[in-house]
Amino acid sequence: MSDVVAVDTRARERFPLGVWGIAMLIATEAALFAMMVGSYFYLRFKNAQWPPAGTPEPKVVVPLVLLGVLMLTAFPMWKAASSATPRRWLLLALVVQSGYFAMEVSDFRDDLRHFTPQQHAYGSIYYTLLGADHGHVAVGLLLDAWLLWKLLFGMTEFRRKAVRAIALYWYAVIVLTIVVTLTVTSPAFAR
Amino acid sequence: MTSVAERVDRLERQWAERPGVLGWLTTTDHKRVGLLYFWTTLVFFGAGGVEALVMRSQLIQPNNHLVGPETFDQLFTVHGMTMIFWFIIPMTTGAFGNYLVPLMIGARDMAFPRMNALSFWIFLASGMFLYIGLFSGFGPDAGWFNYVPLADRLHDPSRNIEFYTLGLAFNSIASTLTAANLIVTILKLRAPGMSFNRMPLFCFAFLAASFGLIFALPSLSVDLIFLFLQRNLGFHFFDVAHGGSSFLWQHLFWFFGHPEVYILIVPAFGIATEIIPAFTRRKMIAFPLVAIAELLVVFIGFGVWAHHMFATGLPTTTLVFFAGATSMVVIPSTIQVFAWCMSIYAGRPKFKTPLLFIIGFIVMFVAGGLTGIMFLAIPFDQQTTDTYFVVAHFHYIIFGAAVFPIFGGMYYWFPKVTGKLYFERPGQISFWIIFAGTNLLFFPMHIVGLLGMPRRVYTYPGDMGWTSYNVIESIGGYITAVGILALFTNLVVSYFRGAPAGPDPWHGPTLEWSVPSPPPEYNFAVIPTVSSAYANWDADDRERDGHRLTAGVGTLERGHEQHVSSLIDGWTSEIVDMPHSSPWPIALALALSLLFAMLVITHYLFAAIFAVVIALTLLGWHGKEPQES
Amino acid sequence: MLAGSAAGLGVIVAILVGAWFKRGVDGADRPGTITVIALGIVTPILVLAALFAYSDIFLIRGTSPPVAAAATNDLSVRVIGHQFWWEIRYPGSGVVTANEIHIPVRTHVVVSVHSDDVIHSFWVPQLNRKIDVFPDQVNRVELYADKPGRYRGQCAEFCGLQHAHMGFYVFAQPRAAYDRWLRMQARPAKRFNALFDDKCSSCHAIQGTPAHAHVGPDLTHVGSRTSLAALTIPNTAAHMADWLRNTQQVKPGSQMPEVDLTNAQVRQLTRYLESLK
Repeated sequence: MSDVVAVDTRARERFPLGVWGIAMLIATEAALFAMMVGSYFYLRFKNAQWPPAGTPEPKVVVPLVLLGVLMLTAFPMWKAASSATPRRWLLLALVVQSGYFAMEVSDFRDDLRHFTPQQHAYGSIYYTLLGADHGHVAVGLLLDAWLLWKLLFGMTEFRRKAVRAIALYWYAVIVLTIVVTLTVTSPAFAR
Repeated sequence: MTSVAERVDRLERQWAERPGVLGWLTTTDHKRVGLLYFWTTLVFFGAGGVEALVMRSQLIQPNNHLVGPETFDQLFTVHGMTMIFWFIIPMTTGAFGNYLVPLMIGARDMAFPRMNALSFWIFLASGMFLYIGLFSGFGPDAGWFNYVPLADRLHDPSRNIEFYTLGLAFNSIASTLTAANLIVTILKLRAPGMSFNRMPLFCFAFLAASFGLIFALPSLSVDLIFLFLQRNLGFHFFDVAHGGSSFLWQHLFWFFGHPEVYILIVPAFGIATEIIPAFTRRKMIAFPLVAIAELLVVFIGFGVWAHHMFATGLPTTTLVFFAGATSMVVIPSTIQVFAWCMSIYAGRPKFKTPLLFIIGFIVMFVAGGLTGIMFLAIPFDQQTTDTYFVVAHFHYIIFGAAVFPIFGGMYYWFPKVTGKLYFERPGQISFWIIFAGTNLLFFPMHIVGLLGMPRRVYTYPGDMGWTSYNVIESIGGYITAVGILALFTNLVVSYFRGAPAGPDPWHGPTLEWSVPSPPPEYNFAVIPTVSSAYANWDADDRERDGHRLTAGVGTLERGHEQHVSSLIDGWTSEIVDMPHSSPWPIALALALSLLFAMLVITHYLFAAIFAVVIALTLLGWHGKEPQES
Repeated sequence: MLAGSAAGLGVIVAILVGAWFKRGVDGADRPGTITVIALGIVTPILVLAALFAYSDIFLIRGTSPPVAAAATNDLSVRVIGHQFWWEIRYPGSGVVTANEIHIPVRTHVVVSVHSDDVIHSFWVPQLNRKIDVFPDQVNRVELYADKPGRYRGQCAEFCGLQHAHMGFYVFAQPRAAYDRWLRMQARPAKRFNALFDDKCSSCHAIQGTPAHAHVGPDLTHVGSRTSLAALTIPNTAAHMADWLRNTQQVKPGSQMPEVDLTNAQVRQLTRYLESLK
């Protein structure tokens, strides 16, 4: 008895359910950051001086260079998701991403020496936005580490799908970091 | 050759739940999760109702002393929060959505069964969190929209607002998980042949509401995070003295708040669009228009938020833009209203209790919608906003357009869930009592609002001419309560004494009526094939299913198997192995509850420790991998 | 609008009642779809466009906030919202009062509102729309009374425990009477009271005495006001005494604390305050 209905085997390879789940997470987090970035610009246009007097202008060169480094890790993540031996690519990605994260944490603490979130709305939205972004990077590092540990025990269908899902997560974090970095450095551009 | 009986037996053994309480605590079955949501939301509905009755009793007389302003302020705040976040949304998406969507699309469970259970336990914990706050005297008291500066540390120094921010943030995790689950389920788990245009309208509605939740809740979350940081860590987002803005709270709140009201009513539209075909015995008129309208109303609803801020002093150009956008959002609703009405007119209606509730819903929704349209006249809005006129408007919409279909849906699906028929006569009586009570309760509010009575007042002067209306409203409230009690008494008695229902007492249009009542754990012994949006009325397809069951084609009985299909056309793409019965959801919910408890008492170190516990729980959750296909 | 709404609701009810009467007869799809498009899309577009054009292009000109008082405006009044009372100031004459605004009839008055604490809303229903009162910025609303009389206003944005008791009066008077009132309000008080100075001057001002604090309402002419505590109680000697003795019972949550006074002190203060006309 043949089924009336066709079969689409390509769809199976395209997006497993786990990837859909991560996509839903990305959608909701993207909305979250959109509202935070919107709040940044709302506060900016409510204040004649931004940053306020006494607060240094945001650095531009170092954040953009670091952003470039993070963007480059999209390549090893993509290779991990499409290769039969993802471990080396994941390890490379994790090392570079960790380096990025360490530099960002150091910059964050350096900023805190010059101005704090408790001083003015500028500081509050600056540190909240950056902190949320760094938080998502940190979660990504943990996901990479988990994957590497799982892959020590060999490859399975589930782990292959997990690599694809986490690669998608990283693409989203990279896009997010582009938006956030451009937002917090924007006062230095628009004069 | 295996017989049908042997196949069914194999399925029953594989999908059987653990017995007893442990089975309920570790369940991942969408039907059990739906029932857990159902009973829990009813408890919160009762709480919200009691809060309303106490308020109406305080307001029955001017200068009354039943409760003082502190209590009253907590009552109206918690009433609003409870009804929206702990009744309507979890009842529609969590109870009706979880129970019915997989059945309607021919699936065996939701796309993420453990996440489904998790969302319930988080929802339950968040409600306990809020009510622990209320009962310990720290109930939120700045209104359900919690404007700053009233809600900032200077003007509301106690822990009340922490129960607001953290309680809602906690709850919104549950709603987001449910929404994500519904979206992926509806998009990917439909039965073979159920292309996007052959989905039941119920699924279009739940898809729209879920997308609404995914994109609107984050705006509220950002507001809550900002307020928590400002109140507890000295940040500045909303205080103008340090470069912040009181308007920022309102913009972020209403950007969430307006889509939220569509999220409240669109699932109820979905319920209505299933009851109407079943009780008029014909297909919905203008099906494609209705389907698109359900999606469009949520989408356009994202662009109208500042119509809640017409009196704030925003520039006139801004106000006019938002009034224009608001007029656009009316159209998808009017399309649906006329489609429903013409379907009832063109069909052969059986005026049984579910259809009565839908007709009551249409009348009240239209009344509430008409007052809504009045608000797009900005000068009119600027007179009536913040008065009882707007309280009347939104209660006609929420009670009429969300609660009435929920009641109708309870009657409609009662036979499916319990296997019994409810008693029809008492059902109709309960409808009329509730309809009379709610109109008596909410209609006079229009008048007293136009006479100048502001909202959120714990008492009012006796010489304003408002008293008699308040008396009528309070009496209406008591009558409504009686009607609701009658409704639930009927359902409870019917559960114990009702006649057996069989699988399809209504000759319903959708697939849930093709399985036994109540459905077996595995829902469908054979995955159905579908060629229209009214699958249960396609007798040929259902007969073919019977042949396939005998032949063992599409019975998916080798494990906990589920069929996954392509997004648009519903072609089979793979068979996946589903999780079944797990302790991780309730464990994770417990860890999350402890994290929020630590935050409300601002013990950040312990909160961080529980965050680590959550991470470890997630490790355990993903420890066992699904079987390869 | 009410007529239109009744008509709209009527159409719906008519269809549903019609369904009851013709039940048992199956209808075709086409007429239904056409009705849905005609009544559900076309008609609403026309009605909404008309409503929008009339209200939000034409009518709104009369209710839009005025710009700051220019030469064409006869009068400007400053209102500062507090939890739970209204501070009223008349720029130019230096008059400061509370919970009562006097304006001349048939005069365009620009009221500028600002909040000292949380968001309030300034609303005199019979005279104009409400305008929210923010700490962030000054908002404005125009008041124009074409007939003399007493118009009741109230706070219309939930502002805390005593939001329900934050009312005020607007008295529209003939020009001469208004001028007399303003001159009278501008005069300092004639008498000083040591007890008041001791117990009350940390929050309340009386022009002509050393009491100059503006934490609470200015009391220079409190005896001439129609009500007390922002329309919570009428202004009579008995109510004044009750207010002084049992502040937190009369208005629980009011920012005025219970002041420790003996009965004799209450009587003395009542007499003094009522004399400040």
